[in-house]
Amino acid sequence: MSTDPYSKRVRDLFDVPAHAGSLDGASTVEVSDQGVRVRLYAAVVDAEIRALRFQAWGCPHTIAAAEAFCAGYEGRPVVDLLDFSVSDLMQSLSVPVEKTGRILVIEDAVRSLGSEAGAISIPDD
Amino acid sequence: MAEQQDLLYLDYAASTPVDARVAQAMSALMTSAGSYANPSSTHAAGRQSVGHIARAADQLAGLLNTRAERLIWTSGATESDNLAILGGAHYRRDRGRHLVSMRTEHKAVTDSFSELERQAFDVTWLDPEANGVLDIARFEAALRDDTQLVSIMHVNNETGVIQDIEKIGAICREREILFHVDAAQSVGKLLIDLDALPVDLMSMTAHKVYGPKGIGALYIADRPGVHVDPLLFGGGQQHRLRPGTLPSQQIVGFGAAADIARSRMHEDLERLAALRDRFWSGVHDLPGILLNGDIDNSFPGILNVSIEDIEGESLLLALEPLCVATGSACNSASQEPSYVLRALGRSDALAQSAVRFSFGRPTSLMDVDFAVEHYRNAVDKLRRIAPGHAA
Repeated sequence: MSTDPYSKRVRDLFDVPAHAGSLDGASTVEVSDQGVRVRLYAAVVDAEIRALRFQAWGCPHTIAAAEAFCAGYEGRPVVDLLDFSVSDLMQSLSVPVEKTGRILVIEDAVRSLGSEAGAISIPDD
Repeated sequence: MAEQQDLLYLDYAASTPVDARVAQAMSALMTSAGSYANPSSTHAAGRQSVGHIARAADQLAGLLNTRAERLIWTSGATESDNLAILGGAHYRRDRGRHLVSMRTEHKAVTDSFSELERQAFDVTWLDPEANGVLDIARFEAALRDDTQLVSIMHVNNETGVIQDIEKIGAICREREILFHVDAAQSVGKLLIDLDALPVDLMSMTAHKVYGPKGIGALYIADRPGVHVDPLLFGGGQQHRLRPGTLPSQQIVGFGAAADIARSRMHEDLERLAALRDRFWSGVHDLPGILLNGDIDNSFPGILNVSIEDIEGESLLLALEPLCVATGSACNSASQEPSYVLRALGRSDALAQSAVRFSFGRPTSLMDVDFAVEHYRNAVDKLRRIAPGHAA
């Protein structure tokens, strides 16, 4: 049994968070909750996400999740932000269930970013 | 995860490697060629084991300037703390129900007192000053006519802060209050003269001082009214205070470690102070860095620092391959900041960002320089990632 609390993917994303940073003039949202602060930037042209950046204050899983989101959604239609699934992200990063609340902060941020960047109508749950 | 050979261990306050000479002394007792007999046996082989144990007791007593018969072997400092506090309070329950300790004590102490609170004892928990030191006037003011036991640690395991056990002990002795000291972090590291110190009970362990895990001791002063009720039952060993077959090889290891510590204490302290000072001078200019404790009144093997705007768990991962202790008890679930640092007045965020660097005999100046560079890089990386940073 592994005693490492972090999966290899989390370690890789945490070690090299290629999308950490900011984008001038981009749509920006910031969500703070659960002891985590996440800011997302999206540069959208013709309803396509041309670039994503993040800034995060939180545990390694939070930083890795933010990086994974940015890496996975660049180049996609902005409408795809609606499909962003925190459960897929948690599974792919092997995030422990007790950290669900922190990863949900990223989901909140992504949904807000969708609204901000593309005036997407997101149905209320 | 970093491989074992890549790791830089800077967690000597948590545990130390067994000195090769200690391991050699221990292994000599563990095989058929050695003195493996049960020391309770009356035959010749058993008496050989008794002889080894007696020598080890002399070695540990020599380190502490006391007599070997004042030492009770235990499984470690946690058991010693439990035996001293629970056993001491129970033995003296007719003298009063009031007990005094500090919020910054090790869990082995605080949890023992919490258990006594459940048994209707009344515990006063003292807060330290901002530098971690107990104010003597506040301590004295907390004592009552029915105070029967005080427990104050010598060196704090998180901050390295040294309490004035001589003054505290003198006050206790004036009032006939039993005084216990958790010395897990100081035995073998700081000069302790139990013949001179007004200490009634002292807990210690071998593995913090290059001895084996699984062996500790409780010193019980030879003074009227100083005694403890046993926690374990089942044999006549150690005057029935702590029955059970004595682990002779562990005890021999503790004795050998004590002997070595005694011979090089001054040298160790000088080296550790140089390492600690070099580390602090390498990081003290970082914006928002704070030293937890009092560098002028600390065991030099421990340095605890907090830093503003840095998340503790991420800091710890970014610090790999350094093996250091976080100020947070956090696992993913609780993220509870260190209660010791909270008692020093640190905010949750600062307590959570705290890292304890602890240095030991194998630590070199190069190790410290590497740790400084790595800490600075980790802080820089996490600050660049954090919201608000201008890219």
